[in-house]
Amino acid sequence: MNPLEGALTAELLIAALACIVAALSPASMRRYLAGVATLAMAASGIVAGGFALSGHTGTLSAPTALPAVDLTLAPDRLGGVFIVIASAVTLLAALYAIGYVHGSADSRSAWLAFIIFTLGLQMVPAAGDVITFLLAWELMALGSGVLVLTDHRTRPQARSAALWYAVMTQLSFLLLLAGFAVLATATGSTTFDALVTVSPTSTTGALAFILLTLGFATKAGLVPLHIWLPRAHPEAPSHASAVMSAAMVKMGVYGTLLVVLRFMPGGPAWWGIVLLVLGGISAVYGILQASVTSDVKRLLAYSTTENIGLIFLAIGASVLLAAYGITAASQAALLAALLLAISHAAFKCSLFLGAGAIVHATGERNLDRLGGLGVRMPWTAAAFGVAALGAAALPVTSGFVAEWTLFQSFIHGATRDAIPLAVALPVAVAVVALTAGLALVTFVKLYGIGFLARPRSTGADDAHEVSHPMRWAALIGAAAVIALGVFPGPIAQVLASAVGIGDVATIGFGGLSLPSLGVLLDPMALAITALVCALPVVVVSALSARRHPRRATELPWGCGGVRVSPRMQYTATSYAEPLMRVFDDTLRPEQDVVVTHATESRYLVAQVRYRQKLSDVIEVRGYRPLLAFADRLGVVSRRLQNGSLHRYLTYSFVALIVVLVVVSL
Amino acid sequence: MSESLYAQLISLTAGTLLLTAALIVWRRSLRASVRLLAIQGIALAGLVAVLGWHERTIELVLVSLLVLGLKAIVLPLVLSRNVLTHDDDREVPRLNPTASLIFAALLTMLAYIVCRPWMGDTDDPTSRAVPIGIALVLIGFLLLITRRRAASQLIGFLVLDNGIATVAFLTATGVPLIVELGASLDVLLVVLILQVLTGRMQVKFGGTDLDDLTELKD
Repeated sequence: MNPLEGALTAELLIAALACIVAALSPASMRRYLAGVATLAMAASGIVAGGFALSGHTGTLSAPTALPAVDLTLAPDRLGGVFIVIASAVTLLAALYAIGYVHGSADSRSAWLAFIIFTLGLQMVPAAGDVITFLLAWELMALGSGVLVLTDHRTRPQARSAALWYAVMTQLSFLLLLAGFAVLATATGSTTFDALVTVSPTSTTGALAFILLTLGFATKAGLVPLHIWLPRAHPEAPSHASAVMSAAMVKMGVYGTLLVVLRFMPGGPAWWGIVLLVLGGISAVYGILQASVTSDVKRLLAYSTTENIGLIFLAIGASVLLAAYGITAASQAALLAALLLAISHAAFKCSLFLGAGAIVHATGERNLDRLGGLGVRMPWTAAAFGVAALGAAALPVTSGFVAEWTLFQSFIHGATRDAIPLAVALPVAVAVVALTAGLALVTFVKLYGIGFLARPRSTGADDAHEVSHPMRWAALIGAAAVIALGVFPGPIAQVLASAVGIGDVATIGFGGLSLPSLGVLLDPMALAITALVCALPVVVVSALSARRHPRRATELPWGCGGVRVSPRMQYTATSYAEPLMRVFDDTLRPEQDVVVTHATESRYLVAQVRYRQKLSDVIEVRGYRPLLAFADRLGVVSRRLQNGSLHRYLTYSFVALIVVLVVVSL
Repeated sequence: MSESLYAQLISLTAGTLLLTAALIVWRRSLRASVRLLAIQGIALAGLVAVLGWHERTIELVLVSLLVLGLKAIVLPLVLSRNVLTHDDDREVPRLNPTASLIFAALLTMLAYIVCRPWMGDTDDPTSRAVPIGIALVLIGFLLLITRRRAASQLIGFLVLDNGIATVAFLTATGVPLIVELGASLDVLLVVLILQVLTGRMQVKFGGTDLDDLTELKD
């Protein structure tokens, strides 16, 4: 048994042990025992993923009841990347859960669901054949479905969210099943190694690509299949939503990479266009919805749609560029996709854990009722702030490096020889630029309204710093965001080797260099330079401040400039109001302004009530009519079943006659 | 037994089966239907006996006695007890007798068409009688659909079962005793259970018209 097989076996054994511990331990000790067991499972997952990533190969297989069908775990290097992502996120979430879970989230079933969910998550990228892949995929769906239902007693909307989630996740599974069936029928085998014989330009290849991409896009939460994401993520307990958002939707990315890199490499240009369009629309729509929503967790869920959209955009660009033979830019786009995936895993995990801490401390999820948490929860604020920088793709964070790489690939891939490229890449640049701008607004809003200013509710006023495990989990995530942003070189090299890109180098203080594009980025050197430049300014302004001490100005009447009440501050809604106006046609908010006049004169206003309701346009315009149609169909089809025994007998009689007639023809 | 006598006896019993089925479709009186069903049972037993005599197997003769006891005596008795417990034995079918008879004729034709590939052009009398079994199954189904009363449903079910048994005997040239025993017990149980249910219906709803049961859906 080689190291990889050993690590995978250890992981499976620890997972079994964790399940037993979670099921049997007494309620008072459960969170510690089950949490530590889950930590151990995640740690062994990181080891296994690390072995796979460094090029070890190994196969674990178990026979099934069906002849010639074995369950096989055989991770390759790409799988290793995603095993490491899934395990690392699980590790942080489990650590967080030790301090966080209480009530129904600390129940036996919630812990079991969490362990099964995260195990399935780590097994999906390890699978070596279709059956194992789908089995792990369903384990993942099952566990997360139970987790979405955790608070169903107190939150009725959890039930509806779980229903949406279950339907969409089953849709995803059915599409995958169909796609894999197409591939397996064409090749006559279900092992991944055998599926590669399908030609990407054949009709079979095209059909499989469409089915699999739609299936994976559903899981990844791409528009217009994202509809479950803003419902399910807010309802699950925060450690579970962190794993769902930071790792589970990544499995959609992994699956897409599996299709375009492993099963059918060298896909035609239209594949790239499909992925580009899907990703571009998702990125813009996701961040637009995120920028105007006020619910912290819903905002983060929409931002997930945006980030996954960017990753698909990068994959699409890579396929498109490769189809036109522009290898260097194509490889840079692929590297950008992986960097985006890792970066998103780090900052989104930290953000969701931080959001959980906010909900835990204040009991509020509505940004309009938060504020002032920076003073009350300094550790959480620090972690959340760094992660928000990462999400806004600002320098010295991982998000910046990833988007920089993406831009490099777009810029160096632009060519006038191929019309699709000449059109697609500039549009993609515009999309990414718009997304980055809106992301900045969104996360300034999230951090500024949530953590700065004065508390807007008593819940926010009474907030207190959360327990140590919760703090540390969020901080480690934030540290990863910085580490990936400051030393991108070594990480990019590891990622590049996982997908067979050789042309990536480390330069300077862990900087990233892409020699074939002739570009390099050394964040550490940039940071040092910036510090050196800023130092004189800081020194001079500090000195001049000492020379002119600040005068205290106490105005008797503040000219409206003195904010006497927290209600006079900007709220999340008012901050996003300009955006709402600009994108009015897309967002279509419902706004009510009710003005009550004073009884003495109708020129005097006694009260103004403003109400704004935002709904997902795609849900209202796309899904609701579909659901209404299905409902009508159901009502009509009830006439078939009117309760008359004779009618039922007639059905079978007619069926029998038809069969007989068909047979005799 | 000479071959021609064998063929004639097979045709006679099979013809009786079909004739009784057609008469059951025609008659509205439940008592008459039960009597016809008993005749049908005798014909089926006769068919099995002829087969057993021709094949010279004592087992088939035993089976024929079993069939005679069950289908010609026990089941009609059970049914007639049910019918006799209340005075109204008129069936009001959903389809008038003429239309039912036309349907029965069409179904018999369908049965012959369906069986054409099996029959081929052999002169084997058992193969030539197989369509009658199929026709019996279809006519039994027709009775189930068009009759309202619970007792008529039972009669339809038994005609259907007779059809299945006929096909089984003719195609496999007899059925082992143990298999027939099992099948007969099944039928007996089904009839007894339905009998009990019909009694309950009578008590609960004051009638056994199945059209009154449509409220029980969902």
